[in-house]
Amino acid sequence: MILPLLERARAGDTEFVLASRGASRSKAPEALVQINTEPARTLIPQRALRPGEQYRFHFDMTKCIGCKCCVVACNEQNGNPAAIQWRRVGEIEGGHYPHTQRHYLSMGCNHCLEPSCLAGCPVKAYTKHPATGIVLHSADTCIGCQYCTWNCSYGVPQYNPERGVVGKCDMCHNRLSDGMAPACVNACPEGAIAIEIVDTLQWRIDHLTADAPGLPPSTDSLSTTRVTLPEALAPNTGRVDTQQIHLEHPHWPLVVMLVLTQMSVGAFGAMWLLQITGSGGGLLAPALSSLLIAALSLGASTLHLGRPVHAWRALRGWRTSWLSREVIGLSAFAGAASAYAGLLVLDEFTGAILPALLSAAGFMTLLCGVAGVACSSRLYVVKARPSWNSPLTPAELFSTALLLGPLFVRAMGFNGASWLAAAACAGAMAQLGTQVIKLLWLARSDVFELRASSLLLSTRLERPLLARLAALIATTILALKFNSMTACVVTLLLAICGEGLGRWIFFVSVVPKNIAASFSAAGRKAA
Amino acid sequence: MKLTRLIGLDNLAAEYSYVRDPELGYTSAKRAAERWVKTTCGYCSVGCGMEVGVRGNEAVAVRALDQHPVNRGKLCPKGLSEHHIIAAENRAQYPLLRVNGKLTRVSWDDALGEMTARFGAVQKKHGPQSLGVLSTGQLVTEEFYTLGKLVQLGFGTNNYDGNTTLCMASAVSGYKVSFGSDGPPGAYEDLERADVILLIGANIADNHPILCQYLEANREKTLIVADPRVTKTAMMADIHLPLKPRTDLALLNGIAHILVRERLIDHAYIDQHTTGFDELARFLEDYTPDRVAAVTGLSAEQIYRTAFLYGRAKAGFIGWTMGVNHSTQGTETVNAICNLALLTGQIGHAGAAPFSITGQCNAMGTRETGFTSSMPGYRKFDDPGDRNDLAALWKIDESRLPAKRGCAYPDIVEGAVAGRIRALWIIATNPLVSFPNQDVLRQALSNLDFLVVQDGYHPTPTTELAHLVLPAAIWGEKEGTYTNSERRVGKVNAAVRPPGDARPDFDIFLSVAEKLGVRDELYPGWSKPEDAFNEWRRVSRGRLCDYSGITYQRLEEEDGVQWPCPEGSADQAARRLYTDGTFQTPDGRARLVCAPWQPFPEQPNRDYPFVLNTGRTVEHWHTRTKTKEVPILERLSPQAWLEMNPADAQKLGFRSHCRVDIISRRGRVRGVELRLTEIIAPGQVFMPFHYFETNVNEVTQSAFDPVSREPNYKQCAVRVERTGVTS
Repeated sequence: MILPLLERARAGDTEFVLASRGASRSKAPEALVQINTEPARTLIPQRALRPGEQYRFHFDMTKCIGCKCCVVACNEQNGNPAAIQWRRVGEIEGGHYPHTQRHYLSMGCNHCLEPSCLAGCPVKAYTKHPATGIVLHSADTCIGCQYCTWNCSYGVPQYNPERGVVGKCDMCHNRLSDGMAPACVNACPEGAIAIEIVDTLQWRIDHLTADAPGLPPSTDSLSTTRVTLPEALAPNTGRVDTQQIHLEHPHWPLVVMLVLTQMSVGAFGAMWLLQITGSGGGLLAPALSSLLIAALSLGASTLHLGRPVHAWRALRGWRTSWLSREVIGLSAFAGAASAYAGLLVLDEFTGAILPALLSAAGFMTLLCGVAGVACSSRLYVVKARPSWNSPLTPAELFSTALLLGPLFVRAMGFNGASWLAAAACAGAMAQLGTQVIKLLWLARSDVFELRASSLLLSTRLERPLLARLAALIATTILALKFNSMTACVVTLLLAICGEGLGRWIFFVSVVPKNIAASFSAAGRKAA
Repeated sequence: MKLTRLIGLDNLAAEYSYVRDPELGYTSAKRAAERWVKTTCGYCSVGCGMEVGVRGNEAVAVRALDQHPVNRGKLCPKGLSEHHIIAAENRAQYPLLRVNGKLTRVSWDDALGEMTARFGAVQKKHGPQSLGVLSTGQLVTEEFYTLGKLVQLGFGTNNYDGNTTLCMASAVSGYKVSFGSDGPPGAYEDLERADVILLIGANIADNHPILCQYLEANREKTLIVADPRVTKTAMMADIHLPLKPRTDLALLNGIAHILVRERLIDHAYIDQHTTGFDELARFLEDYTPDRVAAVTGLSAEQIYRTAFLYGRAKAGFIGWTMGVNHSTQGTETVNAICNLALLTGQIGHAGAAPFSITGQCNAMGTRETGFTSSMPGYRKFDDPGDRNDLAALWKIDESRLPAKRGCAYPDIVEGAVAGRIRALWIIATNPLVSFPNQDVLRQALSNLDFLVVQDGYHPTPTTELAHLVLPAAIWGEKEGTYTNSERRVGKVNAAVRPPGDARPDFDIFLSVAEKLGVRDELYPGWSKPEDAFNEWRRVSRGRLCDYSGITYQRLEEEDGVQWPCPEGSADQAARRLYTDGTFQTPDGRARLVCAPWQPFPEQPNRDYPFVLNTGRTVEHWHTRTKTKEVPILERLSPQAWLEMNPADAQKLGFRSHCRVDIISRRGRVRGVELRLTEIIAPGQVFMPFHYFETNVNEVTQSAFDPVSREPNYKQCAVRVERTGVTS
């Protein structure tokens, strides 16, 4: 990035330090003379960054009048559709009439010191600019996995379905480079938004002063935005958007994937146990079909991507991204499962494969599968999505594997092995326990997002939730009572439906952290 | 969706690319313009200077003029996205005539032929006054001037008024009563130079956000905001006066009482420049702080404090908008505001003014030139001197000038209900959203023999009822001037061609005149707006609103010029009226007016326990015809809401976001989203009026100021029910 802003500052040229380019060209209008007697109000930095410093936003809540010029200017600047707002204005309110306080929170990207969007990105579409600290996103690299949108506590990266990629506020870094103010800064009639320089080491100590009502804690990813709050905010000051909670996107391809891959891993686990207990005859059919299911579900998962053709890029971020690791883990699982199935095929035709080799291959498959599911579940454990951010998330996914895997193998002709039914029941009970603990945890929390999830589950999602729990109980009873092939298949299908419903609930019931939005419901959907 | 996009090879990178534009800097390539056209914003009357970026025949961007004396490089969210209104899908493109119940495309010639024939038939049968014309504050001054002559002299009816009567009429009549003439006396600069600013019923943060930068720049001020609602503007105030609805007149009289009693008045100014002080002083005796406190719900201490601040101010500014005007006592409340300024001499010098902050982009233009509530140049219908003067300028017989003002807007509507008005021409306004008590309006329109609606958009709720729709060019497609609140005339220019067969209103008026056979007489040799402007300069010469020193060239060069600007005046400093204390009354003295406070007409009771207040939101303009077409604005504020205090909601068992119906004696608005908020007082509810889908004017009342004829939009009694649950 060229930074004439910095170079010119170094050269001692202070002429460029103006809120807008036009103002530098024209004489000040007469009426402005008064203002000019005050210290110059500069809205972009006046000097070069020193090592250990970066740019950041300053938002002065005492000046903001909630006119939303910044929102409109940002959308114009970036040619974004109305549904995508890289800068948003939220409302907070406190006090009681007539001593009511209503304030506005205008937020773009916080250009965090530890950007969670960047860490989570599987394709390395994000960079934190070494000189300016601006968190940049490359729409060309992005594959539209939307993992960053789950990782950011402020709802900053937003997915553009028209393009199939995410986009976000880049502090108009190209304008800054040219010595011009970002669109939001330039548009604000009150001068409430400014770009300033922050000492990053010092900010690691001071960042708590960035916290504001309606803003998720700065600790999540060390947000750099500084907010000037009004004096004496009423103690009950808070966001106004809390009375209506929306269901989140269900991510259907991921619902399919998160049920079927776990079933497949569970199934290979069951097969491995059958193998080592010496009842491994006839494993070829379940192995091949499990492999097929795993392959289909992995393929289906790419439908979640905005740009499926570039799915392979998801391997790039393995050093930091759990999504990359999931892809690696599940690919390894698919590879091991293929090898194992290959050996079973050879064994079928030649009978020459050593049982030890088969059980070793089965074990490898299981190991890779467990690693894959572990990565799968770990990637949902993010601060920005509080109801996912607990050990209950891996417990939920592994319980599915334990429930569906044995039921699948059982339905593939192993209905005689009664321990499979028992294992599945253990899985069902584990799942039931996980869900009950989760519901209690959510209901008793004093964290807004968790309580809001609880509210969703007890109101709009009550029926699906009850159906899901009933499916678990019914599965247990069916599995224990009936072991005809028909019963096994019915039990399996019921369990798959139940877990599918559970996964759908998992996705739609999460209430993400976000900056305060406006009251208007449709306005909030944009957030 | 294209396959390449579906699989992700294409991510629309070209569409979302950026350019380094020489004017805008680094920005979305969608905004890259080939040329820039300077103009003045077409929404509100702040009058911001801007440029429209054009590529081909498409307006692709706007930018504020950095050096413009009004907006100093800033625009509000509506202005920032104004180019999107031009290429909207529902632009009216072709004349449409109702044939067998269906609007059918016709040629301009047929359309205007039909229009003049039908109007002529109606006028022949029922008299010339049976034609009514409802105009607007949205046209350019040249068009208002042209239309005024066409209606009054061409069609020969004085039943002509504008939607400005729904908006600023009380300010107009208040100024006329107090100062002898319309014309806001101050300048925006006063907001920056006053040390005490009192805003009454003016939520400028939502409605005139660009003016807020003047307040922001004025660090020495004390800002007092009187508003029953804790608006965004009230939140900016040093002192918020949360008075009970429509008690502003009592408050103003109470302040005047304290000013007089505590000798905070300017006796010299009163003696030299006003009449009526003794009567006023006697009248004010009743407005003791204790009584006013009881009426307004404020404390006596708050009233004292406000009075002392204003009385001791070096420069005191009082600004107001619809909270004052939208009232059956609007005119009197304006008089009471002017009283305060006159008592203290806070008028005619820097920072000191009573100042109406106007609504529409060119409401001022129609007030000056429009021939509705007065004759062009603020000339009075009943002043023989004014009549002779104008008749001579126009070279017509004085008897052709109407003897008096015709029906005002609500009286034209009443006239249609009663069958006195049989044909109506509605221009650039949308009463099906904006007129109070919609039932009456619908009845009026359904009574008409012929309804012509001339608008830039179709369908609108009003064009849908028309017998004839005339497609007009809008802002960005035509030339002329707007006058803003501080009397600054700004140039408006065409950036693109209008869509289809749409034509500038100016051209339409000339063509109608031609059909009537009066074009050569009324508009000799006219072909372009500047011809009208030049005649208007002559007609305004020597008047308070003197344009004679203003030329199109000057407007382009100086980014607007304030009137009065007599020929030869080159001064660019902020102009104020009445700097010498001489007013537009026969004796040159301003009138101190005794304006007794009365409670608003429809008080709440057991059946209708809430006082309903109506107003706006920053994202939308008036009846949303334009802003609905701007995706980002519509997204930010897609539907109406009703504000209610949580204490009231608790009693009723309502929760935030539930849907409610608002019911008055006149109608019901259904399914409005409820917002529980402490910004509204218990016992009051608030709803924005922009939304046809849930139109608050179904429930507002037919109560009008007796002088200005402005509707009392701000208070009526309603009850609120859960939608679908009848009590």
